[in-house]
Amino acid sequence: MIIKMERIEVQSTKDMEMIDITSHLERVVKESGLHNGIVLAMTTHTSSGLIVTEGIECLERDVVAHLDRLAPKEAPPGAPGYWHNRYLDFDGRLGFNAGDHLKSILGGINCFFAVENGKVVRGGRQTVYFVEYDGPLARTVIIQVMGEGA
Amino acid sequence: MNLGIDFHTHPLLVREMVARHPELVKPARETFYIGNTFQPIRTFLLELDEAGLDKAVLLPIDAQRTRADMVYNNEQVAELCAMEPRFIGFASVDPMRPDAPQLLEHAIKVLGLRGLKLAPAMQEFFADDRMAYPLYEKALELGIPILFHAGMSWEPGSRLAYGQPLRFENVAADFPQLRIVLAHLAWPWVTEAVALALKYPNVYLDTSALYFDNPRDFLTYAMTHIVPLTVFERSLRNQIVFGSNYPRVEIKNMARAVRGLGFSEECQKLVFRENALRLLGGRA
Repeated sequence: MIIKMERIEVQSTKDMEMIDITSHLERVVKESGLHNGIVLAMTTHTSSGLIVTEGIECLERDVVAHLDRLAPKEAPPGAPGYWHNRYLDFDGRLGFNAGDHLKSILGGINCFFAVENGKVVRGGRQTVYFVEYDGPLARTVIIQVMGEGA
Repeated sequence: MNLGIDFHTHPLLVREMVARHPELVKPARETFYIGNTFQPIRTFLLELDEAGLDKAVLLPIDAQRTRADMVYNNEQVAELCAMEPRFIGFASVDPMRPDAPQLLEHAIKVLGLRGLKLAPAMQEFFADDRMAYPLYEKALELGIPILFHAGMSWEPGSRLAYGQPLRFENVAADFPQLRIVLAHLAWPWVTEAVALALKYPNVYLDTSALYFDNPRDFLTYAMTHIVPLTVFERSLRNQIVFGSNYPRVEIKNMARAVRGLGFSEECQKLVFRENALRLLGGRA
């Protein structure tokens, strides 16, 4: 039985963007010696996400734009707005990024794939994205493998 | 790049500095009370990029006497500035120390820092205390600006009275050539701070005000409803500087809020760059 976990750091460079991390999952699986099992990944932050979709730039734009329409950063002027618009004494700062937290909930924060014969089993068009909703920030994603070795 | 300057940031969460100086965790968490994760310098620079700015003023606080802590000392600010040319370092000294003028002179002439940050609430002194005057005289002699924390202070143990704008009037009047910045629009005393700036051309205000809601709503409240935006645009356009108060708030969010207020393009250039350059003596 193999169970191994790795933390990777993803540096986002913009307010919102999708960053392809597929190769990280494949590398962790390869280095782990896992033969058959699963690999899972999860962002450890509540204003970012993990999404699996086709890896093309136009879709990256559409995914982020759609989530921003569903959960905009700022409520329209005059609307009641988000409750999460207040000082957080435990953080020493204002919290006003409810829209980014909501995007994270809508898009999800994790994904998993089967591993077969040492390879990540994914569709030919499936790409694993870390999704930044409130960057730029250095973020942490955990990748864990579980299963049998060769 | 000649984009703009954030005149009010704190380098508290810079990971490289914490790695070099582990003692910097304490001032971040227990004196400044910031809970966010430590980030690489690159994140700071990307924040500036995202906000469309090229440089940031780094502000320390000498709270040794009152909090037994240095929220960065002057040497650490200089060290960080040496690591990244987009940073402009300010010094901080305790104005109640008899050797405060000498410490400031060392910070400016030897360490290469560019201004003085004072935080009356955290340092527990009133700006118009005559004990502080030798320090102001030294700042004037050195040709550097002083940025005062003004208005409310979040930190537990801090008293609001130290930030009352009228406590800065004697300083502005007695040192008419000394360039003074009152931070945070001195909220909740925005009207009083504006009155000082209207009366004293050496008084500047920075925009780093955010105490509830969000940057857009708070700044609209402070710079439109408390005091009409036209007052800032027509009368104080040469005395407003952009400041974010990063990392208490992201630079990108404060910049977006200030740009959304409705200032003319000419006024935005003054707020985001020209006024800061004047404060810094003409060079970034």
